[in-house]
Amino acid sequence: MEQTLEAGPITRARAEYVERFSLSQRMEHLAIMITFTGLAITGLPQKYAGAALSQWLIIHMGGIELTRLIHRILSFIFTAGALYHAGIIFVSIARHQFRPNIFFSFRDYRDAIAVLRYDLGISDKHPEFDRFDFRQKFEYWGIVFGGIIMLISGYFLMFPIFFTRILPGQAIPVAKVFHSYEGLMAFLVIIIWHLYGAHLEPDKFPGDTTIFTGKISRERMQKEHSLEYERIVREERERDEKAQEEKEKIDEKVN
Amino acid sequence: MLDKHPPAIESPRYNRGKAFWIGMGLLVIAILILLFKTAGVGAQAPPPAEPCLQCHVIPGLEKKLPNGEKLKLTISAESFARSVHGSRLICSDCHAGYITAPHPNRNIDNRRSYSIAQYEVCKKCHFANYTKTLDSVHYAMLNKGNQNAPVCTDCHTSHDVTHPDKPRRAISQACSACHTAISKTYVTSVHGKALVEEDNKDVPVCTDCHGVHNIHDPRIESYRLDVPDLCARCHTDETLMDKYDISTRVVQTYLSDFHGVTVSLRQKQSPDSRTTEAVCTDCHGVHDIARVESTNSPVMKANLVKTCQKCHPDAGPNFPSAWLSHYEPSPQKAPMVYFARLFYLAFIPFMIVGLSIHVMLNLWRAITHR
Repeated sequence: MEQTLEAGPITRARAEYVERFSLSQRMEHLAIMITFTGLAITGLPQKYAGAALSQWLIIHMGGIELTRLIHRILSFIFTAGALYHAGIIFVSIARHQFRPNIFFSFRDYRDAIAVLRYDLGISDKHPEFDRFDFRQKFEYWGIVFGGIIMLISGYFLMFPIFFTRILPGQAIPVAKVFHSYEGLMAFLVIIIWHLYGAHLEPDKFPGDTTIFTGKISRERMQKEHSLEYERIVREERERDEKAQEEKEKIDEKVN
Repeated sequence: MLDKHPPAIESPRYNRGKAFWIGMGLLVIAILILLFKTAGVGAQAPPPAEPCLQCHVIPGLEKKLPNGEKLKLTISAESFARSVHGSRLICSDCHAGYITAPHPNRNIDNRRSYSIAQYEVCKKCHFANYTKTLDSVHYAMLNKGNQNAPVCTDCHTSHDVTHPDKPRRAISQACSACHTAISKTYVTSVHGKALVEEDNKDVPVCTDCHGVHNIHDPRIESYRLDVPDLCARCHTDETLMDKYDISTRVVQTYLSDFHGVTVSLRQKQSPDSRTTEAVCTDCHGVHDIARVESTNSPVMKANLVKTCQKCHPDAGPNFPSAWLSHYEPSPQKAPMVYFARLFYLAFIPFMIVGLSIHVMLNLWRAITHR
């Protein structure tokens, strides 16, 4: 009897999952996942060109010229992804829909300390997180700043003749140092941080599927992003109440 | 008392001493003769009393060949005796089949074909070097029918063969007979000048880079790719480079940069296909390599843009300094590069250790509080 059109929100409130990432965000992750992996596979052997494994990889990717070509094509896709991401932010600011929930705040610093105390067994109280915990924020900003460094230094290395027209020559070897070491660091951070945070962490093993499906269980939301979840539940309740009120109004009129 | 000693004993004693001295004398004479004999060879000894030389020292002895050329048949017995073969070979070792007089008639078309026919003769003793020549560009030319391609005697001469490196410059002079233009360039280069003017023992002569008997075609791609290794043979030798105050890091700095990485990978990947990335000689020159301080060096700062523009035609005046001129980054040379690297060398371990500790603590808590 209550299963009318207006009852939609009520059904959603009872669903087991909530949507955490939009399709656009999932696609962005997929793009960066593929390009990052490809760039690391084609880039690191160039950094360590003397190593036997690097030489094996380069030869099996079709030689150094083809390896460089693949690296550059992937870098264009990476650039496109970065511009898309910047565009999304710009549009959401223009539409007054931008929610600055990814920025670091003093709370994240406190959370980090609290997690450390919890892990060390000093405290038994695990901090509660909002939409993004400090580890996720750290990884996001790592990609943003690392990506900017990689893009600028990468284009310096791709077009040295152009850039030395406007900059001193030393800019190119400086860019090479940045590109080479920042790339190595990004690779290591992903190996340690992301592999743990998204795959090996006991709760998430063998892998967190949320970034691919966009869905996260209410149970996990409650545990990992309790502050956001409380807000979601509150919003859902308000929506439901509103829907209920409207339904009652309509019912009154009908009667 | 004296009579007690029988004279029979004294006599042999006296005789023994006399025999000893005679023996010693003969030994000394024998040694002297031996010494004179060895020292005399080549210097003062008369030409070997060979039956051939009864005729072949007569001036003007020659044979008219079908093409009108004259094959000279007179040799200098003295200069043959002075040659490395003088004490080791007799005429018939190389010129077999002429025992009977008059000599049997041979079909010799021209002087060159006679020289080429004699190519095989050296093989009898110098088998290893002969075999090496079969891999050479010269033999390949000869094989294709180029009669001017050099055979043993063109570089080593025939009857006056001396040690090829005495003096050392003789090696490069031998090549200059055909490679005149390159030789003229070479003697003006930093290596060639030192060779010709000071008889320098360290600088490369032609054969040091091109090989001795198995001289390869330097125009093939794999030879170009081997250039850094070739230069590295001397330029990474510390005792040698210390003498001239040249850094031995020049090769390493090259190999770790863009050109060097590509070239060393191409060496393994496809040594026979075209590689456009610069090797040592593309910037420093080939036979005209000059001191880097000299004004006509292509890598002199004032000339560097032009050198880069050979491959990078749009390169501007700042472009050459994108390459650190074989210097390793230091606070003096390329401080920005030095400090950027220093930053990462400190920051990366800090980051990695920090994150690893965090991950391990997290795991530890999860395991202990299951």
